[in-house]
Amino acid sequence: MHKPEPDKFKIPVGPQHPALKEPEGFSVALKGEKIMGLEIRLGYNHRGIEKACEERTYIQDLYLIERVCGICSHSHSTCFVQAVEEIAAVEVPKRALYIRTLIGELERVHSHLLWLGVAGHEIGFDTLLMYAWRDREIVMDLLALITGNRVNYGMNTIGGVRRDISKEQAEEVLKGINILEERTKYYIEIATQETTIIKRLSGVGIISHEDALKLDAVGPTARASGVNRDVRYNDPYAAYGEITFNVITDTHNDVYGRTLVRVKELMESYQIIRQCLKKIPDGPILTKVPRKIPIGEATSRYEAPRGEDVHYVKSNGSEKPERVKIRAPTLANIQAVKHMLKDRFLADMPIVIAAIDPCFSCTDRSVSLENPGDRNKEIMTWHALRTYSIEWYKKQGIDFTELNNNLKNKLERR
Amino acid sequence: MSQEEKIKQELINRFSYLENIIKIQRPRRMSAEIDYNNFTEILDYAVKQLKFIHLCTITGLDEQDKLGFIYHLAQDSGVLFNLKTSVFKQNPEIKSVMPYFAGAEIYERELVDLLGVKVEGLPVGNRYPLTDDWPTDQFPLRKDWKPSSDK
Amino acid sequence: MIKALFSILIFPGFLFVSVFGLFAEFFDRKIYARLQNRVGPPWFQTFADFIKLLAKEDIVPCEANPRMFGLAPIFALASVITVFLYIPLWKTETLFSFNGDIIMVLYLLTVPTLAFFIGGWYSTSLFARIGSVRCVTQLFAYEVPLFMSILAAALLANSWSLVDIVIFYTRHPLYCLFNLIGFGISLIALLGKLEKTPFDIPEAETEIVAGAFTEYSGRLLAILRLTIDIEMVVGSALLVAVFFPFGLTLAPITGFVVFMAEIMFVIALLSLLRTVVARLRIDQMINFCWKYMVPLAIFQLLLNLTLKRILM
Repeated sequence: MHKPEPDKFKIPVGPQHPALKEPEGFSVALKGEKIMGLEIRLGYNHRGIEKACEERTYIQDLYLIERVCGICSHSHSTCFVQAVEEIAAVEVPKRALYIRTLIGELERVHSHLLWLGVAGHEIGFDTLLMYAWRDREIVMDLLALITGNRVNYGMNTIGGVRRDISKEQAEEVLKGINILEERTKYYIEIATQETTIIKRLSGVGIISHEDALKLDAVGPTARASGVNRDVRYNDPYAAYGEITFNVITDTHNDVYGRTLVRVKELMESYQIIRQCLKKIPDGPILTKVPRKIPIGEATSRYEAPRGEDVHYVKSNGSEKPERVKIRAPTLANIQAVKHMLKDRFLADMPIVIAAIDPCFSCTDRSVSLENPGDRNKEIMTWHALRTYSIEWYKKQGIDFTELNNNLKNKLERR
Repeated sequence: MSQEEKIKQELINRFSYLENIIKIQRPRRMSAEIDYNNFTEILDYAVKQLKFIHLCTITGLDEQDKLGFIYHLAQDSGVLFNLKTSVFKQNPEIKSVMPYFAGAEIYERELVDLLGVKVEGLPVGNRYPLTDDWPTDQFPLRKDWKPSSDK
Repeated sequence: MIKALFSILIFPGFLFVSVFGLFAEFFDRKIYARLQNRVGPPWFQTFADFIKLLAKEDIVPCEANPRMFGLAPIFALASVITVFLYIPLWKTETLFSFNGDIIMVLYLLTVPTLAFFIGGWYSTSLFARIGSVRCVTQLFAYEVPLFMSILAAALLANSWSLVDIVIFYTRHPLYCLFNLIGFGISLIALLGKLEKTPFDIPEAETEIVAGAFTEYSGRLLAILRLTIDIEMVVGSALLVAVFFPFGLTLAPITGFVVFMAEIMFVIALLSLLRTVVARLRIDQMINFCWKYMVPLAIFQLLLNLTLKRILM
């Protein structure tokens, strides 16, 4: 180990660290327990999705973009199709818009519950993690019921949605929402009463109203600093124009405020889901759209669970887009983290980072097939990699050939 | 007069050359394509007078001999103003908008890495999003760049 | 001689206390899991983990001091096992009892924390260093109220010997009620000693990976984990012996079973406590200990002194 300066430690939090769910580098200079400086290195998750989008058709892009992020997959795909539909000037059926809204809100519920659990874990309150994630299963089951998948729902397509929602499903959703509402009330009670939670959250990660505006913070992070900014309200899309709901803001400016905003947003989401199911009109769910999208460009905004998601699409009249730009909410918020951690304690770092609900894979968007450290740029294809591994195991005296053949036979017999 | 019309009128009153340039695509969506020389004054006016205080992102474009940049500016009313400008690809250089939007740093770093534009006034810092040993003459979002794994 | 060897190695020494410690860890984890609405581990999980760890390779970091790094866990284990020899288990008598052994027991219980500090410090990892510094910082905060409340109980019994304390409280069970504050304080301080939530600051996973244990692996890690398990049993047993040592005057087997049940009760209380709270920050923890626990412990001490005047 290099000799540390007498009273200053430099701790690497990441690229791999238990506090981070995804690789991202934070280098913290410490004096005792106090944070003296913070350096952020992003980009470990860069997958070159924007470039990849240019080489695929719009329909293929849809599936790729859904995989920008595992948690807010519906947000990204909705944001993208909205932009494409705007360029193609398609009238999307009302029913499809309502279904999009419904899935979007269910996704918000699952994302916020996930966040609540993660936040609990970061402050060492694993019980909250277990409870929140248990309840999250309810909404995951609902999503699986409607879309067939727990994540990456594959609901959106250009011109509408791919699956309709039946009466029985709607009833199931209402039932699930009722249970979740009860549970959420309980969490609000915990968050506002449990002393250790309040002690760990309040006064931590403060970002003032002015700084939040200056640093372009978005979503619950900004709203907890009193910034009344919610794309659903300011720039309504899908069916939000016909639905009444409140924009939750808070003036605590700290992690505690962000927690309150999120749990209260959960309650709002339940209301939105109920309205959706009540107002949803009958009719078709899909308008046919030609494969070739006319020349044009459009910017689409979407309020993802983490904040404003922005997609810009430019088309050149062919089947493939000219340019797709994705700005995920975390990228807008990550710059606020530096501000929040000034003169705070090391112990606050995990929760402060978690409090913006970071999603680094959204932020970075790479399957860098090249080994970046390798100057010779020897590239291994999937096939070569597989052959290499088989050879490697053979050298170790382990032969999988028979096993593979058995497996193949088994699959063929089916 | 709708709010978009009002904003358009105010911009035209101030900068007469924008007369036929500003477009209103749909409610809450406006755009203008301007010369880079006029960019700073229009941005200054839009931010300070018209309250476009939120920079959603900066999109970089490769347009054959030019590099285009779209600054997506948003008002809290929900109006989004896409301010587009471009510079020539040979020795491209733009000014940082960090004096207006402190949060623009990461978007500009992305432009530097992926499109190879020089941004004047960007503080020293880590690269984003490419690795530190990425060759300095490779810019993945340029149209003539192909990922080598395809070969 | 053989009897002494038997006591040290088999019962109630090394073998028994190890098995009991691993079982206690299972018990703790199971209760923790059930309270969190999870299934929890099967009964053999902790034993399987232990055996697996023993079979793994020990990795000593290049920069670490191999001697200190290797010796620290063994010191820690040895000291906690020794404690068990001084705690009456099935009758009001121990092997090596002497007047003043309660002081020794308390000091022996401090040794593991110091050993963790040394092990963490000499492993030279950044995370381990921060963890070990936190270990010791925390030690100064919880040790004082723990000592004061346990010694307050000893004061009332008018003896520095564990056996005499046990005999005293068995004869006057109602006197235990006076020590309730002390029991509460000791229970919370024990959480700090065992590095459990809300005082798991030295090994806060999301901040400093595994704290002082970050660089440990294989057998040494197995020993460290066993040490903590045994520390949990020994700490709980000490609390039982001092605060409610009932049942030891019954027949040996019954007395033993009752005593074990009481230890399990304390462990269950510890699990419950760590289920319902979040981890504190180190500054908050020290504040809490000095602001609330120490004054309460002093109050207990004064209360017992007064009581002693009145009652005896």
